[in-house]
Amino acid sequence: MAALAALAATVGGLLRLRAAGAEGQWRRLRGAGLLRGLLQPDSATGVAAQRRHVAHFTFQPDPEPQEYGQTQKMNLFQAITSALDNSLAKDPTAVIFGEDVAFGGVFRCTVGLRDKYGKDRVFNTPLCEQGIVGFGIGVAVTGATAIAEIQFADYIFPAFDQIVNEAAKYRYRSGDLFNCGSLTIRAPWGCVGHGALYHSQSPEAFFAHCPGIKVVVPRSPFQAKGLLLSCIEDKNPCIFFEPKILYRAAVEQVPVEPYNIPLSQAEVIQEGSDVTLVAWGTQVHVIREVASMAQEKLGVSCEVIDLRTILPWDMDTVCK
Amino acid sequence: MKKMLAAAVSRVLSRVAQKPASGVLVASCNYSNDATFEIKKCDLYQLEEGPPVTTVLTREDGLKYYRMMQTIRRMELKADQLYKQKFIRGFCHLCDGQEACCVGLEAGINPTDHVITSYRAHGLCSARGLSVRAILAELTGRRGGCAKGKGGSMHMYAKNFYGGNGIVGAQGPLGAGVALACKYKGKKEVCLTLYGDGAANQGQIFEAYNMAALWKLPCVFVCENNLYGMGTSAERAAASTDYYKRGHFIPGLRVDGMDVLCVREATRFAADYCRSEKGPIVMELQTYRYHGHSMSDPGVSYRTRQEIQNVRSKSDPIMLLKDRMVNSKLATVEEFKEIDVEVRKEIDDAANFATTDLEPPLEELGHHIYCNNPPFEVRGASQWIKFKSLS
Repeated sequence: MAALAALAATVGGLLRLRAAGAEGQWRRLRGAGLLRGLLQPDSATGVAAQRRHVAHFTFQPDPEPQEYGQTQKMNLFQAITSALDNSLAKDPTAVIFGEDVAFGGVFRCTVGLRDKYGKDRVFNTPLCEQGIVGFGIGVAVTGATAIAEIQFADYIFPAFDQIVNEAAKYRYRSGDLFNCGSLTIRAPWGCVGHGALYHSQSPEAFFAHCPGIKVVVPRSPFQAKGLLLSCIEDKNPCIFFEPKILYRAAVEQVPVEPYNIPLSQAEVIQEGSDVTLVAWGTQVHVIREVASMAQEKLGVSCEVIDLRTILPWDMDTVCK
Repeated sequence: MKKMLAAAVSRVLSRVAQKPASGVLVASCNYSNDATFEIKKCDLYQLEEGPPVTTVLTREDGLKYYRMMQTIRRMELKADQLYKQKFIRGFCHLCDGQEACCVGLEAGINPTDHVITSYRAHGLCSARGLSVRAILAELTGRRGGCAKGKGGSMHMYAKNFYGGNGIVGAQGPLGAGVALACKYKGKKEVCLTLYGDGAANQGQIFEAYNMAALWKLPCVFVCENNLYGMGTSAERAAASTDYYKRGHFIPGLRVDGMDVLCVREATRFAADYCRSEKGPIVMELQTYRYHGHSMSDPGVSYRTRQEIQNVRSKSDPIMLLKDRMVNSKLATVEEFKEIDVEVRKEIDDAANFATTDLEPPLEELGHHIYCNNPPFEVRGASQWIKFKSLS
């Protein structure tokens, strides 16, 4: 127990080290690409002017999956499009709606779907988040598959009542007579560096204590496609947060055919014996770097776990 | 008699094609001090009568409006430039093309009245009295900015101006609340609550309508209809694009938002309506923005360049005012050129300040989260980055 505490302290120290390093590397990026800027060490630019923070990580792709057939190089938004394409093809009742999804979406997640599946399956809604989710619940209750998009996770709050009070409790309060299980809500999530108050939020914690819904955050294109397909097919209302900073930055080999990654199952990305690090979304890549720094500098063996599903979370894997 | 003559002259002149005023005219020109103009009649909803169809514009007012509109126009273009040079980061929503709305609204109310709007706020900030320096410095995130550099483009505030709000529609109930305070204080102040054609479909706006009408709040709901909600044209988002009728039980008027005099008269009318305790009123300003939704939107994927060009050449608010004033001899082209030069200089100075001023110190990052709390520490991007928070 004491050893654990001591190790926790060393990892803490390591993260502090990394944070201090990060502070030194903050600098104004004048038109530099995100990754390009991150990989350059800071020269002695002096302490005088305050520098802007920049979201700080390096995306680490997983090895090409072998067991799902042919793969294609895709970034995160293309993986999402592929998942939605598979869903609409497989399930004739599936519909996608949200603000600006018809032309392809502000992050290009729905490009080509309207042309392929028609305007009564992929359509725009007016500017009304509460309306979008409420409408989605209605569609799902009749049995059709509703895939609603909230343009930014920061805008999900007008719909908070619908999600927590209506969607989550529908099955329970009707004694399993009705349910809106075929509802999936997708939203771009997380910071990008320049998003400020309303384009950077990570609201998964607000939903993490609401029985009845599932909350999922993928870390990569391969994970995203499998998890999104599972969310859509899952018979419970799901919220799928997509780390927007990874939309273009994360590129991996992703299977073209549909496949599922089970929900409520965390993944041990790296085995370790001394301390467990748990993360989700973009932070998984940060934590991976920390784990390798810990191994290098302190000789600490870290177990890295990607939680994947925030609610209901995989207690067994984490606590084992 | 003189007024009638001036009116007759202005009517004749406005029908004559634009004639260039040559430099020779200045010396012997007998400026009229004011002129009467005809303005477009507003469409009315549940109102017996509307704003007047003629208005008197004094020379002084005209020059003031011209200066204000030109300042806003130049300031927005400078912001565009600074954004492309990466001095301004994040989001920047420009309102060039909508200057007549900003200036006309301000002209129709008193400085003691209140205004709240959404994120396309730079023009209104300027009209409400903020200096260009304060606005540009806020855009570049410096100490000299009106929100000390912590707000940015979408969060600018001034006396009796409540922002600057990021979430569309959220400012509706807020404005109704400010109107309640006005009614409570009994000083006959009104609150202009602005929102756009996209936000007009948000549930919160209707909640605000209901409360305002129920309690007869002195709230003027102003819908700035620039025809596009981000990239979606109004017809594709709204079942009814008659935004002035959407208040249903609240009377409304639809105003030509490219004509500063029309906006001024309509605002005066609406403000008087509220001040006489008749309850809220909805005003739809038909206007247009030249830029895209924000700096990351080129603005031509959902509308044609031809359309933008058409509006620019036929209904540009600054051009309309200038032509009117020149044609009715309220001022000369040279005077306007002088104003242009002064405005340009002011903007350049402000831009200089905005790019050279210091950023707010890092120690202040955590301040003003709470009020009157003993100082505490707030977590930054990781557990070991802490900022002291003083209130």
